[in-house]
Amino acid sequence: MNSTLKNFISRYHPRYIRSLVYMAQQSEYHIRDYLAWFWRTRDFLRVEQRKTLVKTPKALLLLVLSFGGLILLYAFALWVLLVGVVWWKYLVFLLVVLGAPFILAYGLVVVLFLGRLMQWPVEYLLVDYAKRKLQAHKGLKIAIAGSFGKTTMREILKTVLGATKKVSAPPGSYNTPLGISSFIRGLKGDEEILIFEMGEYYKGDIQHLCALVRPDIGIITGVNEAHLEKFKDVEQTRATIFELADYLGDKPLYINGENELARKYTHAGNIFYTRTGVGKWKVERAQTGLQGTSFTLRNGSEELSVRSHLLGLHQVGPLVVAAHIASKLGLTAEQIEKGIDASKPFEHRLEPKMDAQGVTTLDDSYNGNPDGVRAVTEFLSSLQGHRRWYVTPGLVEMGPKKEEIHKEIGRQLARAGIEKVILIRTSVTPFIFAGLQEENYSGEVIWFDKALDAFSALPNLTVKGDTVLLQNDWPDQYA
Amino acid sequence: MKTIAVIFGGRSAEHDVSIITAHIPIIDSLKATGNFDIWPVYITKEGDWYADKAMNDMAFFKQPNYEAVLRKQKKIQLSFDNGLTLIWPGLRNKKVKIDVVFPSMHGTYGEDGSLMGLLRMAKVPFVGCDMAASAVAMDKAFTKQILEHEGVSVVPFVVFTKTDYEKDKKPFLEKIAKLNYPLFVKPVHLGSSIGITKVKDVAQLENAIEVALHYDDKVLVEEGVENLIEVTLPIIGNDELKLASVERPLNKSELFDFNAKYLSGGGKKSGGVNNAYSEIPASIGDELTREVQELGKKTYKILGCAGIARVDFLIDGSTKKVFVNEVNLLPGSLYAHNWKKSGVSGVELVTKLIALAEERFAAEQKLTHTFSSDILTKVGGPKVQ
Repeated sequence: MNSTLKNFISRYHPRYIRSLVYMAQQSEYHIRDYLAWFWRTRDFLRVEQRKTLVKTPKALLLLVLSFGGLILLYAFALWVLLVGVVWWKYLVFLLVVLGAPFILAYGLVVVLFLGRLMQWPVEYLLVDYAKRKLQAHKGLKIAIAGSFGKTTMREILKTVLGATKKVSAPPGSYNTPLGISSFIRGLKGDEEILIFEMGEYYKGDIQHLCALVRPDIGIITGVNEAHLEKFKDVEQTRATIFELADYLGDKPLYINGENELARKYTHAGNIFYTRTGVGKWKVERAQTGLQGTSFTLRNGSEELSVRSHLLGLHQVGPLVVAAHIASKLGLTAEQIEKGIDASKPFEHRLEPKMDAQGVTTLDDSYNGNPDGVRAVTEFLSSLQGHRRWYVTPGLVEMGPKKEEIHKEIGRQLARAGIEKVILIRTSVTPFIFAGLQEENYSGEVIWFDKALDAFSALPNLTVKGDTVLLQNDWPDQYA
Repeated sequence: MKTIAVIFGGRSAEHDVSIITAHIPIIDSLKATGNFDIWPVYITKEGDWYADKAMNDMAFFKQPNYEAVLRKQKKIQLSFDNGLTLIWPGLRNKKVKIDVVFPSMHGTYGEDGSLMGLLRMAKVPFVGCDMAASAVAMDKAFTKQILEHEGVSVVPFVVFTKTDYEKDKKPFLEKIAKLNYPLFVKPVHLGSSIGITKVKDVAQLENAIEVALHYDDKVLVEEGVENLIEVTLPIIGNDELKLASVERPLNKSELFDFNAKYLSGGGKKSGGVNNAYSEIPASIGDELTREVQELGKKTYKILGCAGIARVDFLIDGSTKKVFVNEVNLLPGSLYAHNWKKSGVSGVELVTKLIALAEERFAAEQKLTHTFSSDILTKVGGPKVQ
């Protein structure tokens, strides 16, 4: 059967409704994201690939409403057919029957909108309560904004400062007003330092979060094309992230000096941090490998020798920020060294695991942005004496720049001399392949249809001493 | 795309182990290459042949009722019309022509040369050793007799058949009395250490022989080695040989029996039928390692091995004397764990083995197997001179 026809018919399959609800759930019930996905989808029977619908009360309610709606629509069509007297009753019947899937998809939007409408006052009250509670809180508030590296920064700060201070931060990706409010509700009041990750999804988001959190110190980890699909323009992303700078005014703001877009918009008084230092602190003798990263921090005669279990020189910048803040807070050199020594790779973020056969796998599946890819490629390239594998489905949400960004990834991999590149067939991996070819890549490219196929093949492809990097995950939204 | 048939299961005590070897690493690695059309051919314990792609997934055999599932399917037939073709009989026969066979059968009817004979008749390239080497290596006594004859050290042994022993065991027991205890009593044809007993004194001897005779009609009694260091060496190649690392199994139980080999500490996802209790490479010193490697190659050649084999050694820890113990022609899971640590991935291993199979087959085809004579015309006439 013709695939266009087959795709069209998939809307009339009973599974269609489940697919719609799944899409709504995976879009976190954001109407814009749900609609964008709906418009993009051709075959509605192949929507749930990586995950499956989680049967939450909300999802179940939507399923029931959708099935009920569909039955009502068909009942209405039948009623028109049976009791109608004019000739166009056939037309109405056909239109309703054929249009039912579309009416249903947009009907779901109305339901989601109504849900939002009902949630607003509740949300407002919850956020307002959290805001008042936090205002009375004595702890130092640190806010982190940026297109990438926020969680890593948060975890580093938590570990380094947490070695001597009572530090608390919202877990996981609690970076929206509602998520942060629920975290604030649980605070005991004796925390000395609070760290907040600020998520930017739309313009004004960071501004709202600043009003809620009222940070004393800010950190901008960088600006890049992550979420470009939503922002359309990287300048919009930058402006949104820099809402943190606008809020802070004269208060300390650390900016990642390795990120070009962030660096350009720095004002006097901002503090740069890079792998070479922060403020007056200079980094010397930085070294990295599969065992971790070590360097010396020097400020005049003061010297700190630190060793972290984090991998890659790109971690030095965030580590020195933590050391700098710690020192401003009065922590001793010994306390800072101890804190940095405790820092180790976080789950799915360049996390090394060695198996019984001597193959090291670096799980970097939460790394989904161009700067992260560059950093990790650079790290891989520094590993000598290992055969290196790079496994990727490409990056999502890169908007109009996706071709250029992925070609650049290909070129970087070729220049880094990565021996084996495994590409998962997606809409963007052909660009990575093109980039590899542009740089006359001499290693081997292996294609797999699905990431799971690649994962099960890898144990049969690798040998002792190999290092395998698993980069990024590819959610169903982008299939 | 080449069509590969992986044949496994069979009427053998090592039926289940064979299923594991077929999947981990053979089918999994063949899949990972993306270059082969893989047909799993499964022989039941009763000897029925089935082929279904669903069996490419190990999960198929984890279903408790997989045998019942299979019984609902059509058994396959084989055609030897200039190569091997699998046939599913029906109104319109479904046929699949096989380019290379990858035998993955341990023990009787598989590793002992029976399957190889069948495949020779079918004129299809197949992975691993040929019929003659398989038949010899499968018989631990023949192996020792041949190796001893060629000057390779083997531990002193006595061998006898069931009939001879039952007729009059005295001469054999007398011969055995000249060996130094402890002794090992083994059925000659079984692999995976099934039916083997370690005998510490004469009181246990006859009982151990009874056990071995329960499994086989030929039994081998051999001297144990003092301060034993067991090592094993996987080898691949036809003329040019490639060696894996010398491996030392560090099993806890005194005897490396079936359970220790396959069950204790097993269940590791990547290890196939081999567990983690081994040292790779074995730390036995460069000199002993070299000796093991040389003896391994020599043994491989003497027995006429091709494709893949694993030579097992016994080393006397105090005298450093190295004995060849036995040769295993289809090492469990191809010893992929060792190859991987020696720099050969599962994919490289199976790809190389298929290339070796084709190479040997091509060489074999160049030989002249027929001979024209007028002998037939003369039958019944004047006496053939």
